[in-house]
Amino acid sequence: METVWQGIFNGLVMGWIYILVALGLTIVFSIMRIVQFAHGEIYMLGAYCTYWFSVVFGLNVFVALFFSAIVMSLVGIILEKFLFSRFRGQIDGSIIVAIGLILLLQTIAAIGFGTQDKWIPTTIPGSLNIWNIKIPWERALSVITGIILVFILFLFIRGTKMGQAMIATSQDIEAATLQGIDVNRVSMMSMAIGCALAAIAGGLMGAIFGVQPVMGSYAMEKGIAVIILGGLGSIWGAVIGGLLLGLIDGLVPLGSNTTVASIIGFTIIVLILIIKPQGFLGHE
Amino acid sequence: MNDEKSEAGELGRMKLNKHWGYLFLILIIFIIPVFIKSEYYLHILILSVINIILTCSLRAIAVTGQVSIGHAGFKCIGAYTSTLIAMRLGFSPYLSMLIGGLAALMVAGIIAYPITRVRTVYFSMLTMFLGIVVTLVTSEWRSLTGGTTGIINIPSFGTTTVFGIGIDFNNKLPNLYLALILMVVVLIFLYSLDRSYIGMTLKAISQDESLAASIGINVARSKAIIFCMGCFIAGLAGGFYAHYWGILNPDSFGLFHSIYLLIYMIVGGTDRFIGAVIGAFVLTLLPEVSRVFQEYQPLVFVAVLYLVVFLLPKGMIDLPHQMRFLLRMVYQDRVKRNA
Amino acid sequence: MLETKNLTKNFKGVQAVNHLNLIVNSGEIVGLIGPNGAGKTTVFNLITGYLRPTEGKVILNGKDITGQKPHVIAMKGIIRTFQLDRIFHNFNVIQNIEIASYLYAGIGLCEAIWNTSGYRNKYHETSQSAEKILKFVGLEDKRDEMARHLSHGHQKLLGIAIALAAKPKVLLLDEPLGGMNSSEVEKTLGIIGEIRKQGTAILLVEHNMQAVMKICDRIVVLNFGMEIARGLPEEIQKNQEVIQAYLGTKRLLPSIT
Repeated sequence: METVWQGIFNGLVMGWIYILVALGLTIVFSIMRIVQFAHGEIYMLGAYCTYWFSVVFGLNVFVALFFSAIVMSLVGIILEKFLFSRFRGQIDGSIIVAIGLILLLQTIAAIGFGTQDKWIPTTIPGSLNIWNIKIPWERALSVITGIILVFILFLFIRGTKMGQAMIATSQDIEAATLQGIDVNRVSMMSMAIGCALAAIAGGLMGAIFGVQPVMGSYAMEKGIAVIILGGLGSIWGAVIGGLLLGLIDGLVPLGSNTTVASIIGFTIIVLILIIKPQGFLGHE
Repeated sequence: MNDEKSEAGELGRMKLNKHWGYLFLILIIFIIPVFIKSEYYLHILILSVINIILTCSLRAIAVTGQVSIGHAGFKCIGAYTSTLIAMRLGFSPYLSMLIGGLAALMVAGIIAYPITRVRTVYFSMLTMFLGIVVTLVTSEWRSLTGGTTGIINIPSFGTTTVFGIGIDFNNKLPNLYLALILMVVVLIFLYSLDRSYIGMTLKAISQDESLAASIGINVARSKAIIFCMGCFIAGLAGGFYAHYWGILNPDSFGLFHSIYLLIYMIVGGTDRFIGAVIGAFVLTLLPEVSRVFQEYQPLVFVAVLYLVVFLLPKGMIDLPHQMRFLLRMVYQDRVKRNA
Repeated sequence: MLETKNLTKNFKGVQAVNHLNLIVNSGEIVGLIGPNGAGKTTVFNLITGYLRPTEGKVILNGKDITGQKPHVIAMKGIIRTFQLDRIFHNFNVIQNIEIASYLYAGIGLCEAIWNTSGYRNKYHETSQSAEKILKFVGLEDKRDEMARHLSHGHQKLLGIAIALAAKPKVLLLDEPLGGMNSSEVEKTLGIIGEIRKQGTAILLVEHNMQAVMKICDRIVVLNFGMEIARGLPEEIQKNQEVIQAYLGTKRLLPSIT
């Protein structure tokens, strides 16, 4: 029984990290109408950034995460302005740009940081004990961080003018433009938010499993799987999809291994896409 | 745009000398390899021929407006099926290659109807996850596929005698010729399809599905058939790859292989058939010729991608047109200055 | 020819079409009019299989064809046009028409790939009939132009030409005159009249009342999915309820000469 709880807990940790990655993807998708395949690389760079701030500058991990989120959101704005803005709504062009970015960033990371694992130090050692399950603090904190960020994002989208503009743009770009919404700014904002979330996810993951130049593609696959599960463009869908996928990834390895967990997760996605392409929370 | 001639209109009047032109081209392609002595370059050429086959089959599917991001998965199915049949049942590699193609066709056939119903972006996602699942299953099903370590010592095409000349398929050159023959057959098939009336109906579907249905085109069936065809060819190419290379492991069929095929197609240019061929050929050779840059070599690839996507939005096939446009601008400028 | 019986469609509780009975005979033009949002296009979608009716039947020559797939219904001879300029934008004009002869070309996949003589003959016939239709709608001088470069009026005409190439027994025209100038309207009305003479049954949705009154044999008026009047054009013009319906949506019935 304890192992099951342990599995569920691990699933939650993974799930919240998937959710953070997926939220960025889904926001960028609903506003710019592109699948940002290089999102995983932003996540990877975010992890390196966190590593850099915490190890080289010796900052507290949370401060490092915060700074890395800011740096990556700036990177996101630059990428949007100079690369992605021309390919909004174009599948062909955006795929090429994203793949170019994947190669570019992976190469830079491999040259700049080397290919061996880097570890982000943990500030809070020890672990939490609930019902006889050992929960390392760093993992518990990633769940808490995830929940807080989703909550903030929700408040931002519901409560601010920019958030409303984002909703309007995601529903109908032309109508939004007619209402005087600056779609360029909204796009940039979506990239900035998406990249910041990815950076934090990367930093959290890097504290648990280490940082490698190729860590991005795994996160990207999982992130896309999550938004398919929950329906493209839905925040709560991404949360539920992420938790579900996280639980599969946490529980299935108890009986077999992580590859089987991925197979089961992705097969479910394929079946969902066949039966109900909008995802089970999709509203399109 | 007015110079875009009616493709199908030409078809009925296709002249015989055009066929001679193609034949000449094929002849040249078949003569060139004789002068290549380097085993390494022959290997690269074989890989690029396989990529051309794959990219063209991907384009055939994409013509109906469905962009597959899991094409390498079908190559994987073909490769493993062919290998296992040849190794465990002792079939001839030629036959097993065909069976590999049929296996890919079968998998495609099972899912074709449901997946061709879904909208474009979902189709891409679906094929993407399908491709991922295929590679994950091959890496997990150890008893059959050897897991991540893969399979080695896959039988090659062996030795045969044609017109009294002994051919040993353990050398590169005969494999290249076999690949070229496969490529020419596949390309002729796909090109004829592309130019024909049926090819036109496929293009019609990609432009407006409801309108196509309103004039009686069975949209779902057409999409399903072309999807199956494309996957069959991918399976065939996979089978060839397995018997040529002799080693298989799931990593060579991952998501990025599928995405690369897509890039070959888009960078080459999707408007014309030849785009996929050029894209696949140039971009497969590019990493090899840019080896001198060592670890910076992927950046050369990136540079080419960005040059094309920003300067030639219609792909490499648009290069002559763009050059002409550029030259004309320069020329007119000079004329103005002189005046 | 074409008949609908109690045709009904609910969209999440809203009755888009409510127990509609229509009959269109060959060689007859029936006008289907009504204010915006009255459910005219929904009727088209129901008849041609793009939507499945909640209730009721669509009958063609005494055979029930309700709920069949769009391409099957097209195969049975019911061809529609679309309200917006739905043409194949990346084909040129003649290709647009050639492709629409798909049903009658009867070209199989294998023969097309092998380029057999049978295929070439069939293809030749298709081109010939496409040229005829091109001439019929008067777009000869635009033959090789890309469809997306055509003017709005010409795109509409091409839409009709596409429908004609499919050799309709019943032709459903959805606002064929929308956005045309008066000379184009005249020309198009002439074409529609010619089609009728060939024995095709025509169901016409149109906002240009002058044209509707001039060309239709009978008219059915819809409002909120319900039939509120039917009869000869003269009767409809005098019908108080119809005038009310149009006034209610702030759209005045244009003065009819």
